[in-house]
Amino acid sequence: MNPSPDDPSLRLAALQAELEEVKRREAAFRVNMVQEFLDRGERNTYVHTLHEQRAALIKRGQEASADLEQLTRKLESEGERAAALEAELGRIKGSWAWRLCALFRGDDRKAAPRAPSPVAAPGAGRSTVEGAVFTYYLHTSPFRIYRDASFTLRGWAWPQDGGAITAVRVNLSGREFIGRCGIEEPEVIARYGPQPANPQPGFEITFDTPPGRQALSLEAQIGGLEWRSIMRTSVWCEPDSR
Amino acid sequence: MRTGFPVSPADANLRWQDSASSLGERSAYKKVWDRQAQDLDVASLAVAGHTDEATLDLSARAFIDQLRATAGIDPDDVVLEIGCGIGRVGKPLSQECLHWFGADISQGMLGHAADRLRQRPNTTLVELATVGLQEFPRDAFDLVYCTIVFMHLFEWDRYRYVEEAFRVLRPGGRCYFDNFPLDSAHGWNVFTEGARYPLDRRPAHISMASTREELGIYLKKAGFVEVKVHDLPNELIAATGRKPT
Repeated sequence: MNPSPDDPSLRLAALQAELEEVKRREAAFRVNMVQEFLDRGERNTYVHTLHEQRAALIKRGQEASADLEQLTRKLESEGERAAALEAELGRIKGSWAWRLCALFRGDDRKAAPRAPSPVAAPGAGRSTVEGAVFTYYLHTSPFRIYRDASFTLRGWAWPQDGGAITAVRVNLSGREFIGRCGIEEPEVIARYGPQPANPQPGFEITFDTPPGRQALSLEAQIGGLEWRSIMRTSVWCEPDSR
Repeated sequence: MRTGFPVSPADANLRWQDSASSLGERSAYKKVWDRQAQDLDVASLAVAGHTDEATLDLSARAFIDQLRATAGIDPDDVVLEIGCGIGRVGKPLSQECLHWFGADISQGMLGHAADRLRQRPNTTLVELATVGLQEFPRDAFDLVYCTIVFMHLFEWDRYRYVEEAFRVLRPGGRCYFDNFPLDSAHGWNVFTEGARYPLDRRPAHISMASTREELGIYLKKAGFVEVKVHDLPNELIAATGRKPT
């Protein structure tokens, strides 16, 4: 025989079950409350203060690197402008009109056409690989004066067209230095989301820094085939402090 | 195998002795216990006196039986362990409660605990900045317990944790604190062994007894009711109490 729905013992059992459920939900609420409190609590701890100081130092470093990059780009631009002016001056001095005027200027001994100064053409010595749009960041900024015999460039990158990076290298005025890629960058993945083609987008490349001005090109090989340039710049390597 | 080289218990014992800080540093709990957490074997010796997982589990289950008999354990309990060390108790206890929180002052110990509790989603580990439970909100837990910890603390710090347990327990929540008493054979042995140390070589973690009165007074002064002091089968004493509703 089935018990009646009005059976007090059934109603009591149902109430008891409901009470247990409420108790369980209240306990789960307290677990969440503690978890949220713990998440917020970091603001007041010494560890958080250290995290903030570290973030501020990184920001200052990034700003300094950005200033140096801007300065480097200005120098490169001025260098190219100077080379263009020098070439223009060479052309003028080689012209018929200049030689004619030399008679009136009294410097006929110097009127012979001069070969243009051996100024490197913009881009000379750079890699011939094609550029492409990359999302990248360099932990060790290349915009610096190089004082040691070698330098290690560390960072992360992926091409925006979704290709997979299979190798990385630095081309320094024609010399190539192969690096290591496939290094984990969990914070980057956490920020930018999963990168299916490049799940471990970190890399590091150590290259020699012979004294003088060098053209640096950071390059990535895509899908084991073509090399593409991630970024290019001129660098200055100090000869004196080695 | 956790490490790349074999570790014998004898090696671990030597390294444990080397890891000891001096008594003058007893209050620097974070430093003292981080030094003892250099690897899991040393950490296990420091918190439990043995290194093999089976014995750790057995001793943890024996403690859980004691906890159940004295303070009670409910499957819906939100539990906090003060001084959880390598998570010896948390590993089996997390199967018997809704959520287990383990708090410890040693980041190194918590690192070992995290490895051991990887398969337990209802566990959370929290590093304490200093003596106290300021990392936790009030009225949050059903059960707060602290086992094999008081012997390594100064009395003022023992009481601080009792006060803090009262704050973080929900009204009606229960607490449990144990230590070894001086008036047991085991307690007297520990005491006389400690007395044999040369004054300048007493380690910071040296075990120091409690009395029944001491534990009872802590709980009553903190505001707990239904305070009881239990004589446990393993020659420890434990004080339990309930936060008034």
